[in-house]
Amino acid sequence: MSMGRFLIKRGLQGVFVIWGVVTVVFGLRYVTPGNPITFVAPLDASQELRQQIAAELGLNRPFYVQYFDYLLSLLQGDMGYSYISGTEASSLIFSRLPATLELAVAASIVAVVISIPLGVVSATRRHEPADYAATSFSLVGISTPNFWLGIMLVLVLSVQFGLFPTSRRGIGLYPALTMLVTQFQVSGLVTWISHITLPAVTLGTYFTALITRLTRSGMLDELGKPYVRASRAKGLPETLVRYKHALRNTLIPVVTVLGLQLGTLIGGAVITEAVFAWPGLGTLVINAINARDWPLIQGSLIVIGTGFVLINLLVDTLYAYINPQVVH
Amino acid sequence: MAHDEGTSRRKFLTAAGTAAATASIAGCTGGEGGQDTTTETDTATEETTETTEDGGDQSGDFSVTITQGQMPTTLDPQNHRSTPTDNVVLHAYEGLLSRTRKGKVQAQLATEWNRQEPGVVRFQIREGVTFHSGNELTPEDVAFSINRIVKKDVGIASPQSDQLAGVTGAKVVDGERAVDVMSDGLNPIVFSLFATYGDVMEKAWVQDREKSQIAKQMNGTGPFELDTYEENVKVEFSRNDDYWQDPAAVTSLTFRAAKESSTRVNQLLSGETDIIVNVPPQAISRVKGANDARVAAVPSTRVIYNAMRYDVEPFSSPKFRQAMNYAVNLEGIIENVLQTFGDATGQPTLEGFFGYNPDVGPYAYNKQKAETLVEESGHAGAEITLHTPVGRYLKDLEIAQAVANQINQLSNVSCSVKQRDFGTLAGELTDGNLETSPKFYLIGWGNATFDASQTIIPLLTSDGALTSYSNDELDNLIEQAQSESNQDERKQLLQEANKLIHDQAPWIFLNRQYSVYGATNDVKWQARRDERIDAYAMEPQQ
Repeated sequence: MSMGRFLIKRGLQGVFVIWGVVTVVFGLRYVTPGNPITFVAPLDASQELRQQIAAELGLNRPFYVQYFDYLLSLLQGDMGYSYISGTEASSLIFSRLPATLELAVAASIVAVVISIPLGVVSATRRHEPADYAATSFSLVGISTPNFWLGIMLVLVLSVQFGLFPTSRRGIGLYPALTMLVTQFQVSGLVTWISHITLPAVTLGTYFTALITRLTRSGMLDELGKPYVRASRAKGLPETLVRYKHALRNTLIPVVTVLGLQLGTLIGGAVITEAVFAWPGLGTLVINAINARDWPLIQGSLIVIGTGFVLINLLVDTLYAYINPQVVH
Repeated sequence: MAHDEGTSRRKFLTAAGTAAATASIAGCTGGEGGQDTTTETDTATEETTETTEDGGDQSGDFSVTITQGQMPTTLDPQNHRSTPTDNVVLHAYEGLLSRTRKGKVQAQLATEWNRQEPGVVRFQIREGVTFHSGNELTPEDVAFSINRIVKKDVGIASPQSDQLAGVTGAKVVDGERAVDVMSDGLNPIVFSLFATYGDVMEKAWVQDREKSQIAKQMNGTGPFELDTYEENVKVEFSRNDDYWQDPAAVTSLTFRAAKESSTRVNQLLSGETDIIVNVPPQAISRVKGANDARVAAVPSTRVIYNAMRYDVEPFSSPKFRQAMNYAVNLEGIIENVLQTFGDATGQPTLEGFFGYNPDVGPYAYNKQKAETLVEESGHAGAEITLHTPVGRYLKDLEIAQAVANQINQLSNVSCSVKQRDFGTLAGELTDGNLETSPKFYLIGWGNATFDASQTIIPLLTSDGALTSYSNDELDNLIEQAQSESNQDERKQLLQEANKLIHDQAPWIFLNRQYSVYGATNDVKWQARRDERIDAYAMEPQQ
């Protein structure tokens, strides 16, 4: 199979997955307890008012009519209107997406920059102090709950020493970069970095620990394989053996995990977003779920689901690039 | 009460008494001449005493940031029922009447208000008021706004129609700068309702816009104009220099939200915000210990209670219900769980409200009496479950656990707690069918009208939207009160109703919730009982 056909096949599978997500998410509203009218109408509302609001929101129509209407609207890029605010669900979701992407990517960068060198050092200096330090770091990183770490970082670095803001996003990356390019002002970028550092470290710590362990075990595995011994026997320099051959093979599972984790970060950074009042998709989804704001829940989950599909596609492509055998 | 900021019961009672008296006079009999009829007495004492160490901003710029737990759900002042939304939109929109911090009804966009006949009241509309669009406020705008709330065919099915209970519509009076508001009966509390609800919008502005645009833009008559709105992120206002009263001292105002209370406290202590809501009891000492921040606490208009369904055993027995009240050490809960940020109640109506019965106190803790009453009720050995939301009210789960634990201490009743999703629980309570409600549940009820009827009617009358109780005698008393034009008579009827409810004990009467704020010392501000955060009343510390 050629690379092009491989990607088309994966793309088509992705479309079906997204349709499945849409259908399941739409169906969930009928099996989930709690009525959105409870949240839109006041507690003491009369039955007449409840019926009026239900009619206004289109909730009194049959299930299948609502489903096909929704599918049709979705194909036209319309995710409906938030029950609670009355504004377009899509504008709400896409206004939150950059914040979440920035945080997820920043956390991933923190993780990759720290974990891969740490994992390699740990594997190549097995049973040495550097290895013990790295494995201890991994253990602590995996065992530390996000919310605790976030609160501690804020208490020490923000409240006590005033080094970072306690919370919020400050400025988006795009406006910060625009300021830099058009006005030659670095203040925007400085603000962005100061705001994103603590949430990215908080969110990235578990991820860092995970990838460190994965890299270490993968590297140890590869270094013990016959091709490494053969390379060394042929007289290849050790750095070439380690970093070109062994590390390259080690990175295959790491890339897969990175991709999946990035998808998880987009949808699941809820606790970090709550601790840092980060205006991302995670808190939007949680608030929408609490309020049974179904257009917003559906839209967000579809965007997150689509994100997963795209990331998987990207991972598959990378995977195919690193190891062309998977195409066949 | 052990609060630095002076929320003592004596001070509160003084203030609340004044509020109730003035609210009942102006709110119920109608003000013959507006402001002149609502003279505020000076007997009320401020609940919070401001002290300062830092000077204010001398440059003329006075920016204030307020951080709530939630952002506004919308900027449409007539299409929501949430307090955080009110706190934001009421800086740009105003009603015909309003309330002072102490709860007194006062003139706002109406200069006079009076009854024309049973079911018809007239408001004289203030002249010289302009919307932020620059257009002048007209009686047509006022009538349109009221109709938009109470009539489904005027734009939206407003969730606020039940807040203007009994109001059927409004029309402009020919030849006068006045609006007549019609009700389907006497509507004794109509002025109280308009003092809290009924924000005025510009008719043409609303009609020119889609519902989704109205939810994101603002055009009111208030002291602040909208600058930027990032949905669910921030709302920024600037001062309206053309305001019909003196312009605000605050030049720019920002609302933000942080769901986590610890995040809000951190923001306050690091100087990133000026006012935060709902400081949790465990963080109070942290705020108090800071050099440039303080705690401002005030009794709210929200009562927390445990409803017991009158139609199922063992709660069908008044003796069993009374026993549950005697079993609960309410003072202990207020002291230990709420760290004194609460007041004990013994009736559904809060102190300071019209119709509150001062002769009815909380049930005194008496375990032995509770056990005896359980025996007499014939329900010894009963096993009951208390359903409670989590995180909806201040320390709701902890209060429920304390109540259940204390009932469990009785030798003849066992009690457990079931944590519930608020939305699901609320759905069961509001579906119009008593049988789908839990038999025993914790819930809170806010009533910003300061009138007993707005608590008793929805929660305790046979036809109430969230009722857990039915009693013909109580229904009769309330019916009489709602058709009584003599305020002394009406007050007596409501007080009788409160006594009856105390004795029949359809609830375990719990606490009055407190609003606990954190504030920087840079801002001179006093908390309000109706949970509003009014930036117009803020000044820089000198």
